[in-house]
Parts: sequence; C-alpha cells; structure tokens
Amino acid sequence: MSKTVRKQSGSRFVGMLVMVAIAGVAILGYSVSRPRAGITPVDPNLPAGTAEGYLIGNPDAPVQVVEFGDFECPACAQWANLTEPDVRARLVETGQISFRFFDFPLDIHPNTWPASNAVACAADQGKFIEMHDGVFATQDQWDGIATSNPKKVLERVASGLGLDMNEWESCFDSQKHYPRIKANLEEGIRRGVGQTPTFIIGSTMYPGNIPFDEFKRYVEQAAAAAAASTKAPAKSGS
Amino acid sequence: MAGEAARAYDETGDASPHAGLRRAIAVLALCGLFLAAYLTLYHYGYVGQIACGTGGCETVQASKWSRFVGLPVALWGAGYYASVFGVATVGSMGASAERAWPTTLLLALNGWGLIFSSWLTWLEVARIHAICRYCVVSAVLVGVLFVLSVLDWRSRRRTPRGGGSA
Repeated sequence: MSKTVRKQSGSRFVGMLVMVAIAGVAILGYSVSRPRAGITPVDPNLPAGTAEGYLIGNPDAPVQVVEFGDFECPACAQWANLTEPDVRARLVETGQISFRFFDFPLDIHPNTWPASNAVACAADQGKFIEMHDGVFATQDQWDGIATSNPKKVLERVASGLGLDMNEWESCFDSQKHYPRIKANLEEGIRRGVGQTPTFIIGSTMYPGNIPFDEFKRYVEQAAAAAAASTKAPAKSGS
Repeated sequence: MAGEAARAYDETGDASPHAGLRRAIAVLALCGLFLAAYLTLYHYGYVGQIACGTGGCETVQASKWSRFVGLPVALWGAGYYASVFGVATVGSMGASAERAWPTTLLLALNGWGLIFSSWLTWLEVARIHAICRYCVVSAVLVGVLFVLSVLDWRSRRRTPRGGGSA
C-alpha cells in the first residue's frame, strides 16, 4: 500500500515538472518566434543615407551631447517638454555643451516616421527647434492612438511656425529625408542604443529619461574628464 | 509546517518528510529557471523589443548593473535556479531524501540567492530608479525558495536520526 502511495506521489511530482516544462518551453518558443514589431510603415529596403543629427549650440563646446529620440515615444516627449528647456537655457546657451538630436524611430510607433519627416522638412527652413518642440508638445494629437493620418496635425504645427507650407508639403510628401532618418536610426543601433531616449554625454551612454540635476552632473563629469585628458599630454610633453 | 510534512510521511508512507518540501522547491526552481531563461533571451535581444523607455525592464536591462562579472545577471539567475532544481530533485529521490547534504546545499544556495536578489532589488530602487516586474517575480520566488529551505532544515532537525536512512 505504502509503495503504491509512494509511486503515486512520485508520479505526481514528475507530472508537475513535465507540466511546468511544457508551459515554460511553449511560452519561450512563442516569445522568440512572434513578430518583433507591430507596424513597419516604411520600405525595409530603403537605402540608408548619411547619418546626420540636428545640432543645437556651439559645435566646439567642451562637452558634446547626443540624444537618440523617437518623436512618438512618451518618455522622449516628457524629457523634451520638461527637462530640455532647462538643458538648453543652462547648458547649451551658456556654451557648456553642444546638443545633437538623432532620430531613432521605433517599430512599435506607427506615426513616428511621418513625425521625423515633418521635423526634417521644417529643419530645411531653419525651424528645427521650433518644430521639434511643437511635435513633442502635440504628441497626443498625432500619435498612433489618436489618428492614422498624422499629417493633418503635423501640418497644423508646421503652419503655426510661419513656414512656407507649399515647400514643406512637397518635402513631406516626397519623403526625401527618409534615407537620412534611417541612417540616424542605424547609427543608434551601431552605437548600441537600446531604448529611447538615450543620451551620449561625452563618451558615456545614459539610457532613459534623465532629470536635469542628474544630466548636469554627467555633463560636469564629462567636462572634468575632457579637461584631465587635455592636461595629461601637456604634462607628458613638458 | 515541518510537522505537517512529518505527519504526511507517517500517513502516506512517503520516502521522507523532506521529499515534499524539496519537491516543492524543485517545481518553483523550474519556474524560476524559465523566467531567468526568458530574461537572458531578452538581454541578448531574442525576445522583447527596443522600446521607449517608459518600461522598467528596458531601463533595468540597459543599465550597467544588468551584467555581473562579464555575464548577464539573468544568466547567473538561470545557473542559480538550475542548481537549486538539480539539488532539490536529486534530494527528493530515493536514499538522498534522507541525507543531510541536500538540506545544507539548498540552504546555502537559497541563502546566497536571497542576498544577491535583495542587492539587485536595492539597485533597482536606489540606483536604476526602475522596477522590472519580472525581476520582482524572481525576487519573490527566491524569497519563497529560501523559506522552504529553512523549513526543510527545521524539519530535519526535528526528525529523529537514523529512520529510513540508506
């Protein structure tokens, strides 16, 4: 009798292990094989142009900062709306840093490419910062949740900046900036960007939405490192 | 609870009062092994996706603390769960169910696991400022595994020596 019970108990244990193993393998298999992205709004065979971000500030500033951002990413919008004004006023305009924005459009956001395109077309007319800010400020009106036709809202933002709308629209419709946007994305992938926003301050990468105080501290660390590296060769040469 | 395990032994004639606890540890460790395997695949980019940094897991996985001694923390976790699973499974079978070594080894492994997991949770809260829900599940799992190992150790101390030993 006790032998039978022992056998039953043993097979219950093995049965549970088998059940957990089957469930685990099924979940892992599904996770690995499922499509990685929801929507791919651009031709995947689009040739990449040359990566080129948008520069704000003095290119010879002691610390170079690069942001990889996605216009439809809520975390990027939060950073652009709340923190970036401080960064511009207290670090860019004082000459401590130069700031370069690279598009990093994520597959999960259906309207991010048109948004990057809209900003690029405004940048052609010298209104990058204004369009960048306008697009982030109205994100909830043109993102994939709000609409499947983001152009309408983006057009309204652009016209509010006093752009030549015929020029902007023909640029927007031609999608002529798509190869460069793709190149910016590939530049981010090459550098190992894993999320948006991601900042490269000096030579260190910082992923995530960084509050101003922390951002400033990283800039100061990068400035100190840059100063130390310029002093070192002078010492060794003397 | 240890007493219940001992009673279960008397009533069912099961191999040992430790077998039940060790089997529970093995089942939970197997769950943890799959969780750690998922996080390892996530770390290497085979599952999940590059995303907008609103999710805690993306932030945690992208942080410098996602690696330990050159390997992803999740891979260390997989190794830990695999070891616990192996010891608990072997320790609940046949003559090993009556031996002391599985108890000692499980207590040591899960004690270390609890310390390491607590440190990782502290890093998430105090340094990374992001909480990954999968890491929270793993931390809870490690806590439960530790409690079960302590119960196994206590029941071993209460069980008269020599009974059923092979």
